[in-house]
Amino acid sequence: MGKQVTEMLKGTLEGIVLAILSGRPAYGYEITAWLREQGFSDIAEGTVYALLIRVEQRGFVDVEKVPSEKGPPRKVYSLNAQGQEYLEEFWRTWSFLTERLEQLREGGR
Amino acid sequence: MATGWTKLLGTVYGPLEQKRRYRQYKARVERLPPGYRIAVDALQRYSYYFGHGTAEGGVSMLEDLADLFEQGAASGTPVREIVGEDPVEFADAFLRNYPEGQWIIRERDRLTGAIERATGEGTGSEGTAR
Repeated sequence: MGKQVTEMLKGTLEGIVLAILSGRPAYGYEITAWLREQGFSDIAEGTVYALLIRVEQRGFVDVEKVPSEKGPPRKVYSLNAQGQEYLEEFWRTWSFLTERLEQLREGGR
Repeated sequence: MATGWTKLLGTVYGPLEQKRRYRQYKARVERLPPGYRIAVDALQRYSYYFGHGTAEGGVSMLEDLADLFEQGAASGTPVREIVGEDPVEFADAFLRNYPEGQWIIRERDRLTGAIERATGEGTGSEGTAR
């Protein structure tokens, strides 16, 4: 994954992760694995972990600790109402951005 | 005598509870495989430059760090995949979650406040440098 993708991903990762969680609850490792499968192969597990801590602090997700066979209990994250609201705002911003960029590509107006 | 000594440590290094949690954290790190332990120690060292000590925010941060690396070690995730290509970027993103006690936060507030005064903007409460 090129440097450019990494840079662009930084601003959108939060929305991406919330969008993943709107489908179903997940724990950190599952989210990282899914992102890797989708081609974001350079994504660090720690980056996703840090982001999950942040969205938890901001009250966008509910967290449940689930025991795991190996290692410490896993935190399973699910999107709550406040997170859903934030995600909708994220999609509106995203639409705005993509429309403007598309205009630029088609000859800049 | 032992209690007197611990009490003294408590006054010097912060509340005993924090101290106990810090020792627990250190013990957890000791049990990690060598590579993971080296990584956690390096991240802890880096965090000190942001003003974290063993105060509440700092200890929570270290506990979360231990969680991440214990989970990684248990699932066999290589250290490189945990911290990514640029460990500094990971460390900064991670540390931003624990503003308590970080001198850089006070300095950012001070900068914001100074610019507000410089531009004659409102006496808004946000970002005021005391």
